[in-house]
Amino acid sequence: MATGTTIEVLYFAQVAEHMGLRRETLPLDAPVQAGAWLDALAARCPALGSAARLKLAINQEHAGRAATIRPGDEVAVFEPVTGG
Amino acid sequence: MIRIQTERFDTAELTALLQDRAGSRAGALVHFLGMVRDYSPEAGSRSLFLEHYPGMCEREIQTLCDYAQQRWDILDTVVVHRVGELPLGDPIVFVGVAAAHRGQAFQACEYIIDALKTRAPFWKRETLADGQAFWVEQRAADAEKTAQWDTSRDTP
Repeated sequence: MATGTTIEVLYFAQVAEHMGLRRETLPLDAPVQAGAWLDALAARCPALGSAARLKLAINQEHAGRAATIRPGDEVAVFEPVTGG
Repeated sequence: MIRIQTERFDTAELTALLQDRAGSRAGALVHFLGMVRDYSPEAGSRSLFLEHYPGMCEREIQTLCDYAQQRWDILDTVVVHRVGELPLGDPIVFVGVAAAHRGQAFQACEYIIDALKTRAPFWKRETLADGQAFWVEQRAADAEKTAQWDTSRDTP
């Protein structure tokens, strides 16, 4: 569970395969811009490819790169959706 | 009503449920039924696996249905989406809309399935006849179709 100094990160589908895990708790003690956070994740895991094509949800709402991730948030990372 | 399930659904039952929910003012029921198709006819598909983000999925679909209720004169909506391992030819998704008149029902139904395809967090992984598996990519045409709903075309 995310606390005041962490975020709960969920990975789905292809992103989960590349990361080799479906969820993890990561430290975050101050708000960060979503785009910068995503770039750092892509740098940590090169198999993800370009961060520009990855999608984010913060607390179960779609979020753009300009959004803010805050300590305690649930952040999901995934490829463009393909339901229906 | 929104349901995400692994089990098969019965289209006739869902249509009857929609009619029940909509009541006697419903003069038109429109539904869209999505099926598992062969994504790679040259290689031969064996099955499709659907993963989703529980919680966010229901929320996103609810938002789309609420928006459709505001934008068009409709009575009720029923959306059922399957997840898990689905064989070729199986139903994946049912989007049903009830309205007094067909025009509003057709438009709301088309909007909901278009928007669901680009907003609801589901991902498809296809397994070919030779056992090879890959994640399906979002089609640019689907994103464009959803974007078109932003420019009004309410009048049939």
